[in-house]
Amino acid sequence: MSSDHTSPADSTETKSTREARMGEGVDDRFNSRLREAFGSSPFILTKFDQFMNWVRGSSMFMLQFGIACCSIEMMHTYAVKHDLDRFHAGVPRASPRQADVMIVPGTIVSKFAPRMKRVYDQVPEPKFVIGMGSCTISGGPFQEGYNVLKGAEEVIPVDIHVPGCPPRPEALVYGVAKLQERIANGESSPVVVKPYELEEFGDLEDDELVEHLADQIDAEDLVMRYNWVDSP
Amino acid sequence: MIPLQAVTLTDRILNLIGLDASTAGPLVVFGVSILAAGLVGTFVLLNTAVAGPYAKRKITAAFTDRISVNRIGPAGIGTIVVDSVRLLSKELIIPEDADRPAYDLAPILLAGSALLGFAVIPMGSGIQVADPEIGLAYVFAVASIASLGLLMAGYASNNKYSFLGGLRAVAQNIAYEIPLVLTGASVVIFAGTLRLSEIVAAQEGTLLALGPVAIPNWFAFVNPFAFALFMAANLAEVGRNPFDIPEAPTEIVAGYQTEYSSVYFVLFYLGEFIHIFLGGAIITTLFLGGPAGPVLPGIVWFTIKIWSVFLFTQWARSAVPRFRIDQLIALGWKVLLVLSLANLLLTAVIVGVIA
Amino acid sequence: MSLQDRTPVEPDVGVDEDGLDYDELEALLDGRVLDREDHVNAEGFVIRPDEVQQVLSTLKEEAGFDHCSAVTAQEYDDRFESIYHLKKFEDPTQELSVIVPTSKDNPVSESAAPVYDTADWHEREAYDLVGINYEGHPDLRRILLPETWQGHPLSERYNQTQPQVVPLREHANPLEEDHRGDGEDADTMFVNIGPHHPATHGVLHVKTVLDGEQIVDLDPDIGYLHRCEEQMCEQGTYRHQIMPYPDRWDYTPGGLLNEWAYARAAEDLADIDVPEYAQVLRTMSAELTRIAAHMLAVGTFGLDLYGDFTVIFMYAIRDREVVQNLLEDLTGQRLMFNYFRLGGVAWDLPEPREEYLDKVREFTADIPDRLEEYHNLISGNEIFQMRCVDTGILPPETAKSYGATGPVARGSGIDYDLRRDDPYGYYDELDWDVITEDGCDNYARLLVRLKEVEESAKIIRQCADLLSEWPEDDRTIQSNVPRTLRPDPDKEIYRAVEGAKGELGIYIRSDGTDKPARFKIRSPCFSNLQTLPVMSEGEYIPDMVASLGSLDIVLGEVDR
Repeated sequence: MSSDHTSPADSTETKSTREARMGEGVDDRFNSRLREAFGSSPFILTKFDQFMNWVRGSSMFMLQFGIACCSIEMMHTYAVKHDLDRFHAGVPRASPRQADVMIVPGTIVSKFAPRMKRVYDQVPEPKFVIGMGSCTISGGPFQEGYNVLKGAEEVIPVDIHVPGCPPRPEALVYGVAKLQERIANGESSPVVVKPYELEEFGDLEDDELVEHLADQIDAEDLVMRYNWVDSP
Repeated sequence: MIPLQAVTLTDRILNLIGLDASTAGPLVVFGVSILAAGLVGTFVLLNTAVAGPYAKRKITAAFTDRISVNRIGPAGIGTIVVDSVRLLSKELIIPEDADRPAYDLAPILLAGSALLGFAVIPMGSGIQVADPEIGLAYVFAVASIASLGLLMAGYASNNKYSFLGGLRAVAQNIAYEIPLVLTGASVVIFAGTLRLSEIVAAQEGTLLALGPVAIPNWFAFVNPFAFALFMAANLAEVGRNPFDIPEAPTEIVAGYQTEYSSVYFVLFYLGEFIHIFLGGAIITTLFLGGPAGPVLPGIVWFTIKIWSVFLFTQWARSAVPRFRIDQLIALGWKVLLVLSLANLLLTAVIVGVIA
Repeated sequence: MSLQDRTPVEPDVGVDEDGLDYDELEALLDGRVLDREDHVNAEGFVIRPDEVQQVLSTLKEEAGFDHCSAVTAQEYDDRFESIYHLKKFEDPTQELSVIVPTSKDNPVSESAAPVYDTADWHEREAYDLVGINYEGHPDLRRILLPETWQGHPLSERYNQTQPQVVPLREHANPLEEDHRGDGEDADTMFVNIGPHHPATHGVLHVKTVLDGEQIVDLDPDIGYLHRCEEQMCEQGTYRHQIMPYPDRWDYTPGGLLNEWAYARAAEDLADIDVPEYAQVLRTMSAELTRIAAHMLAVGTFGLDLYGDFTVIFMYAIRDREVVQNLLEDLTGQRLMFNYFRLGGVAWDLPEPREEYLDKVREFTADIPDRLEEYHNLISGNEIFQMRCVDTGILPPETAKSYGATGPVARGSGIDYDLRRDDPYGYYDELDWDVITEDGCDNYARLLVRLKEVEESAKIIRQCADLLSEWPEDDRTIQSNVPRTLRPDPDKEIYRAVEGAKGELGIYIRSDGTDKPARFKIRSPCFSNLQTLPVMSEGEYIPDMVASLGSLDIVLGEVDR
């Protein structure tokens, strides 16, 4: 699967995740009307940006979200001994509406990817993603599988990758701390545009497969298309 | 000990600035009343702010052998600021088919109803915004508005889990409100009044003197049975374990607040904690002698007491499994209701015979 | 302790003193056996594809094969084949494979689902991955892959690079009329629980239809973690490349137990001996992982009943940390151990040996005290008992028919534990008991796990004593295994071990190369999860959540 179907508008060129997330033009991360009124960024707003970055980097609610093996180590990270809450990041919220950070702990397969994207879309901005484990980087040990996505980045933007199979809790703690640092320094920025929504089946380019499936899937159904040839 | 008088905070402020309540113009009295309400509201919100993002985590951590927040500010106290600013600055997502006015009103209703209850609570050191004759009835009445808020939230979110959560919340609140009120009524029989300041005054004095230790005449000691009943019903009323089924995360995600984000979520979160504190305030007033206590000023004792109740709810949350919805309703209607009725009758008989 | 009548008056047909008498079984089937094959574990009867139900029901009713472990489907150059691995709960060493070949052009075979309930899902999986059609199957849909998937990935013609489209379907407004059915049930509500839900222990999707809060209909939808484990294992060489994968089936961690399943199957396939010393090491380390896995089961069960960040969960994690440290010292990893090798284990005990063994002994000595805490906190709590006793009932007969094994079966009073009934490793030399509970409910399953932790501690203690007394010149940790392992062509084997969740079986067919031609995993969770509808229909959502917790499924193992 390539990233081309993730943003139907410019399906020919492939963007880096960061480019796709930042959108074109000036960095209008906080969508501030004030900023427009002032023209360029005045001192007070820069300071405000810095403050907001610091706030977001200092505290976060996690999405309670387990996929595979890594979720076991993730549970250990939340629990006694490693206690992620020390870093102001240990409140798991079951509802995506109340979460800031999504830790993706495990292999993503074709059936789950659209659901994960949906969950990601449900998280309110600003949101950040930590990819935990090799599977979210490249598919890990299952990369050659017929059903396995070659990394979480094919579906949603990832801010921090924590390598390991599975990463130790210490590694995840380090990843979270690193993410906080990046957010606080303004390096990991919230999304402005949302290029990651699922597309409707009716919008897919007509080809053999689409015609074949036309009687099984309604045109309004949201779908995700996998072009395995283009996968890394 | 500061003598408790039937003087409201408004009167006190008026006295302070050299005016008399009877002679000051209605506008001045109104303004000062707003000021008094603001002061009390701030006090309550301050407590909630400490409890919600910070104390709750620290207390749970203590129960589970962890450290919890400790990076920002001494012992992590700065988390109150960062958490609230961050939550408020989140994107506010309103689901497409949400029932708009209801969806927006629900969180305000929840937080507001609980705050209203504090208007009549005597907090010691003469802090009490109003002292109506039907104080207790008023507190119970406004506290139960919350279930309307929960139902609205659950219905308006257009989410099945919210819907289930809202229905659960209402079923639970109705089932436990009655034992709560009945048990409260037994206190009224003792005190002979609904006016909260008089209920507090009725608890002055000593029940028993065991050598140097004097057990005060608190209704918790006079009628421990009613106290236990009230504590249980109150846990259910504020929705904490073992009665936290309206938002049981492992069953219905987050119940009625599943779809709420950002400011609305903060309001819900706040509202829940204000409710816990309101529950604590009612318990304090009815059973723990209100703001009474040695040496320290009344307001400090009051704060200590409501925080003890809060601690109790967190303790229960850490250690007790939750009921199933049908078991919870059965417990409410078949056990607590019967017990509280029996308690009421017995109290009435005893008070009638003895006094 | 057992519900079963343990005094069979007369043995089943086809059983004599030495075990199974295949000739007699063939006679019982009355000429329906076309051919007989010799698998390493059992003989295989080849039958016609339209006589599956007759043959299997005869074998089940008259010969006592009440346990259908798995259904393996595979494609040969000239035919498709489904293999039903039959066993007996009474004595799992009495095995029989029923082989159903079907033609390449029209792979249709009769379904065994009416005979064995468990065949329902197993045949769906075979249909999904290999492409055999089962006639008379109640609900032949894809199970692991999305409904709109093109092709059958384990068949030979499958093109892995073809594009696929996967839909995400919306569900209707909850306040509208009913979404399913009509007439009297029209006031029900359809709710998706999962795949992202705090109670599903991963990415299980349960389609539920609710009447109020009660569950009218329930359909577990799996495949959200189908990581092509069988394909991965078929691409790896026997000697080293397959061993890391079993760790990732049951990652709670049942790691070493899973590795043992592969090791046992491959060693029997290639006639590799394992030194006794290595067997003791295997037994000890495997039981350590069992403790860790059961602790997690108890902890997450607590999570389901209590809410998150409660004390019981933290207790379980605290104890798991101790086990994980011990395992890390031994194997070098916290979760994915990769410690077993064909013919032994990777390393001896860490030096200094005695210090390590002392740590192990200290841990096992603590176990009774810790379990006391668990009993005080959870199993002794009245509210907990209200929630668990008599909810999620799984009658023993149903459990058997669905092929439930492990703590789930033992919680229903089925006295079935492969460590004792089909001994491997060092288990038969040690003194321990199989735990069964007759409650058949969520509470019984929890008790079984808690008590099994105690038994595991007993085993570990004995192993530690054995290890410290083992003569120094006899500490061989691996036997001689050829660098490249090429088992004889067309050897087939099905071997199972007692994993953390139950009978974990591996079927391997060799084709003379250094990679297996077919590698099939019989996962206990897959079969156990099938019992969820039985356990929770008519009950409340919280009971369903509790039942799911007490089943202790691991999606990695369900979906593979």
